Amino acid sequence: MFDFLNEDSGPLCGSKRSRREFLTVGALGPIGLSLPQFLSAKQRSPMKGDDTKSCIMIFNLGGPSHIDLWDMKPDAPSEIRGPFKPIRTKSNAFEVSEILPMHAKVADKFSLIRSCHHDGAAVHDAGWQIMQTGRRFTGGVETPHAGAVASYLMNPRNDLPPFVVLPELMGRGGGNLPNGQAGGFLGKSQDPFSLMADPSKPDFKVPDLLPPDQFGASRLDRRRRMRDVVDQTVKGFEESEDARLLDEHFHSAFRLMTSEKARAAFDLSQEPDSVRERYGMNRVGQCMLLSRRLIESGVRFVTVNTFLTVFNELSWDIHGSKPFISVKQMQELVAPMYDQAYSALLEDLHQRGMLDDVLVAGVSEFGRTPKINPAGGRDHWPQCFTCSFAGGGVKGGEVVGKSDPIGGFPAERPVEPGDIVATIFHALGFDLETHLPGPSGRPFPIVDFGKEPVRELFA
Amino acid sequence: MKSILIIGLVSLLGFAGAAHGGVTILPETISLKGAEGRQTLLVQETEGEVFTGAVDGVKWLSSDSAVAEVIDGVVIAKGDGKATLTAESEKGRATREVTVTGHGGEFAWSFNRHVLPILTRQGCNMGACHGAVAGKGEFRLSLRGYDPPGDFYTMTRQAKGRRIEMGAPARSLLLTKPTMATPHKGGKRLDVESREYRILSQWIAAGAVAPDGAEPAIARIEVSPDLSVLKKGDRQRLLVTAVYEDGSTLDVTDWAKFASADETIALVDEDGGVEIIGNGEGAVSALYSSKVALARFRSPFPNRIPDDVFSKAPRANFIDELVLAQLEELQLMPSGRSSDEDFIRRAFLDTIGTLPTLEETTAFLSDERPDKRAKLIDSLFEREAFVDYWAYRWSDVFLVNGQILRPDAVKAYYEWVRAGVAANLPWDEMARQVVTAKGESLENGETNFYAVHQDPETMAENVSQAFLSLSIGCAKCHDHPLEKWTNDQYYAFANIFSRVRAKGWGGDARNGDGVRTLYVEPRGDLMQPRTGKPQAPAPLDGDVIDPASPEDRREALADWLTDPENPFFARSITNRVWAAYFGRGLVDPVDDLRASNPASNEPLLDALSAHLVENEFDLKTLMRTILTSETYQRSSEVLSENRDDTKYYSRYYPRRLMAEVLHDAITDVTATPAVFDKVALNDGSFQETKFYEEGTRALELYDSAVKSYFLKTFGRNERQITCECERSSQPSMIQVLHLANGDTLNEKLARKDGVIDGMLKAGMSDGQMVENAYLKTLSRRPNEREAGELVAMMKGLNPEERRLAMEDLFWGLMTSREFLFQH
Repeated sequence: MFDFLNEDSGPLCGSKRSRREFLTVGALGPIGLSLPQFLSAKQRSPMKGDDTKSCIMIFNLGGPSHIDLWDMKPDAPSEIRGPFKPIRTKSNAFEVSEILPMHAKVADKFSLIRSCHHDGAAVHDAGWQIMQTGRRFTGGVETPHAGAVASYLMNPRNDLPPFVVLPELMGRGGGNLPNGQAGGFLGKSQDPFSLMADPSKPDFKVPDLLPPDQFGASRLDRRRRMRDVVDQTVKGFEESEDARLLDEHFHSAFRLMTSEKARAAFDLSQEPDSVRERYGMNRVGQCMLLSRRLIESGVRFVTVNTFLTVFNELSWDIHGSKPFISVKQMQELVAPMYDQAYSALLEDLHQRGMLDDVLVAGVSEFGRTPKINPAGGRDHWPQCFTCSFAGGGVKGGEVVGKSDPIGGFPAERPVEPGDIVATIFHALGFDLETHLPGPSGRPFPIVDFGKEPVRELFA
Repeated sequence: MKSILIIGLVSLLGFAGAAHGGVTILPETISLKGAEGRQTLLVQETEGEVFTGAVDGVKWLSSDSAVAEVIDGVVIAKGDGKATLTAESEKGRATREVTVTGHGGEFAWSFNRHVLPILTRQGCNMGACHGAVAGKGEFRLSLRGYDPPGDFYTMTRQAKGRRIEMGAPARSLLLTKPTMATPHKGGKRLDVESREYRILSQWIAAGAVAPDGAEPAIARIEVSPDLSVLKKGDRQRLLVTAVYEDGSTLDVTDWAKFASADETIALVDEDGGVEIIGNGEGAVSALYSSKVALARFRSPFPNRIPDDVFSKAPRANFIDELVLAQLEELQLMPSGRSSDEDFIRRAFLDTIGTLPTLEETTAFLSDERPDKRAKLIDSLFEREAFVDYWAYRWSDVFLVNGQILRPDAVKAYYEWVRAGVAANLPWDEMARQVVTAKGESLENGETNFYAVHQDPETMAENVSQAFLSLSIGCAKCHDHPLEKWTNDQYYAFANIFSRVRAKGWGGDARNGDGVRTLYVEPRGDLMQPRTGKPQAPAPLDGDVIDPASPEDRREALADWLTDPENPFFARSITNRVWAAYFGRGLVDPVDDLRASNPASNEPLLDALSAHLVENEFDLKTLMRTILTSETYQRSSEVLSENRDDTKYYSRYYPRRLMAEVLHDAITDVTATPAVFDKVALNDGSFQETKFYEEGTRALELYDSAVKSYFLKTFGRNERQITCECERSSQPSMIQVLHLANGDTLNEKLARKDGVIDGMLKAGMSDGQMVENAYLKTLSRRPNEREAGELVAMMKGLNPEERRLAMEDLFWGLMTSREFLFQH
């Protein structure tokens, strides 16, 4: 359980060796990349978890209104039940909102947890960190994103980065808190690869993935050798986490640049138009499609940020007043986009036979107030909300937990962020007793004591 | 400073093995009030002013058992008077005086002193339970008890009074619920046998007396031991004592909330039990009734460094004295002095955000005057680039942002900032001008500070963040959970801005021409939503401003803000400047200057702030003091005895260049001008701008919204909120890919008539070109190995290939860490 402490290859002490290794490797091959598993030497082994499993986390930024979407209260007074009606679905266990018609058709493939809640502040960024890492940051300790834990515990499958965020990291949440989309105490080397581009744009490509066209292999090789000459004369850099990290990024970048597979994974033009259109020709849809391509190519964990900030942009943050969005905008823009993309992803994974191995976790920072506010919207509500799970061994068409008659609090089987993250780890095959090297090398459990996967979800 | 020297001396003696210690009883003040007065005691070993661990096996004696008795380490009041307690142990003997008052009088549990703290400690009023905005089970308490009268009303009057049964306290819902005698969703929170249960039931039985306005208010809390020197693995119990305005004390250890400021050094449990798990200086904060106090812990690194390392270490000024004192206490070895090559590069980049040119570097290296570093520093302050660089950095603080303001307003705002830096306006004067800004927004650029956020609450939060580095947002809805700021103080502060208005505000800030006239109404107030009444205006913990006065309340705010006695103002700016030079604030993060987040070297931050005040907030003087210190001039070389140091400045910590500086460095080296011609709008579209002529440097941009993939990728500050955290210096793979393959570096290197063509035209040999390239990029000459290997790689190439090889050489230099990092 604490075996990382006995290895000299952990992130705390392994990188010192890596630069020298890299130089040796560089001297061997024509462009230094002839040892494809170069990095794996310095990764921890044996790997933890189930090598066949992967995860797509969909982060529904803004905090979707559970009462208007997945946990409707048709019998509640009008100021609570809101303007929408429930519709029947392919599941006998639950209905969904009329603004999610395509969800209804794939309801046999996903299940809902209607009793999620957390005790963090009702501030976006507080919810981001608590839902993605399973904990609130205290005492200056930033806990890692679930994907960073997966990337740390599982070896990379190939040259692709093991943990990717699409389309880019979350922006501003208004609370001035870290957003939880990072490696935290595991170090920045476990931070996700953030795409920084919109895959729905016609000229989409991963920025700067390829060297300029006219560069041949010998030129690239000379550049690297010249850089090595310079970078050998460094003082003090090996003790600086940022400097070490930059070095690691150079290795990874060179591998990525020269890997056919990696390039193909990001190339959405290889998908038929019909598939692209099924997902929706917008950022949310194309990110979902890209997440499937990346997982197919070997990425272990993809987080799709459906939106990037709640200010002056579309998101689920339906306060009803500016700079946030209105219920009408949710009905006409946000929900249809999400409905189409989410249902496309589940269908697509299913048709490709990938659904059993890919967990799709739909989470958000919180739900929304049971009562409609004077602006006709709903405000932040971490006391009760709904998360969805599909694939990766999860049974579809089920409901776990129950909210009270107005969706205000969990009425049965409350589920906390730590349990959500534990559920993800369970699906990836991690022993929840696994410990990480925490701050000061202190063993840090991957989830807090007492947090349990939501086992009813699994077949 | 005196205490530091004493501590330093003591630790020296300690290492020499001299027994110079004693034992003492804590807490230092024990003044028990009433029949229930009691206080847990600790007996600690001491060395000078620091505590070095708890003493076991203590025998207690009281000089007068009719006044006080000690039972199981707890002193219990027995009658009015004074008594002396004596603790006998193998380690020595200690005494402490106890005062007991009001013992014979009528005793009643107090709602504020006892009842509410119990509810808080048991978690009843936390956010997940009855402290939620909507309460729980129709029982709503104020979050962590910030509203005692409201809570008293809720507990005694609501729910038809069923929460309290004076005739039969045990039947009160207040007691049956938390003991699970009746079903309670929150689970069991209270034991029937506990002292807390007894207090609540006795309070109810005595008639559930309301909070008494005449009761002495809490003056402060004290944590003991306040400063301990311990080893990794040691444990220490903490005591928290509330001191009231009448001088009486109350043991509130059981009711305080504890948090560790750095969990890599010390952990604390909810009872105040501390475990030392690392090396360095840690702190644990205790919070009780919106009062904060700190217990500090020093855990030296496991090194044995000869004393003369410190006594002989060079000292340029008080910074070095204080840093070396701490390094000695913590047993960290200071690295040696930086080379001239490192120093010139570092001083340029940190002071003017610009690389030294080849000529400047070679002139400095060949200069043999002993005071050449001081001369260089002075010359940097006189440069135009100094003004650009610091105007840019302060624009981050002031949120000069074209996504929120119209172009002309952005320009006027920026020009105000820049003029302030150019005139070396003292920081208090800058602050005063912003805070009291009035008039037309293009004439008085500083008024745009208020156009960025137009409601009094956000104005208050921004002033607090920019000038005090305090984040007070939490207190908008409830008392700050980690700090002393209360909900009332928040609204008192925000009310200062309630009369600030401008013609043309409201709507989308980007509409129109940006011309707004800011004025102050003679009347009007902001409601405190909890009471529905205005909160009398006051600057945080400053004096109340007469609510009836028609004067601009911001004048009183500016007086309070810039008062040399204000503990936050000078510390805030001092810490910002320090962080700009060292990459890490003494308080980290720099925007979080709360009492429970102490500086890594408190005496140093105090001394630097005092120095700034003495010099009338002249930032250049502060910068000069920093730059000339040996601490700043230390090498970044890592020694085995300072490898694990990340915040005590035993060496210079390398860090990636900030986005704009890196951009300009690439532009300067390659001698190719940049083009900035678009501004990004909120909706993702772009607007043309003609503000920036070709060759404008990134550090000369007015506005963080100017379109630049490079600056965005390398993490410039987007200036949406005042926070250095908006700026990222973190290397990412996307950055590496951009350097390797992107157009910024590659296009500039390939450009005709850039740096490479210049060298080729000058007819330089391969060796000369390599040396020139090194001096231009790394501010040093190549060593023999480097020169040899690189020249060999360029040998025998035809002119066309030679040019490409030169591009590759520059690429290699400019993607190296030595170039990308400040070191």
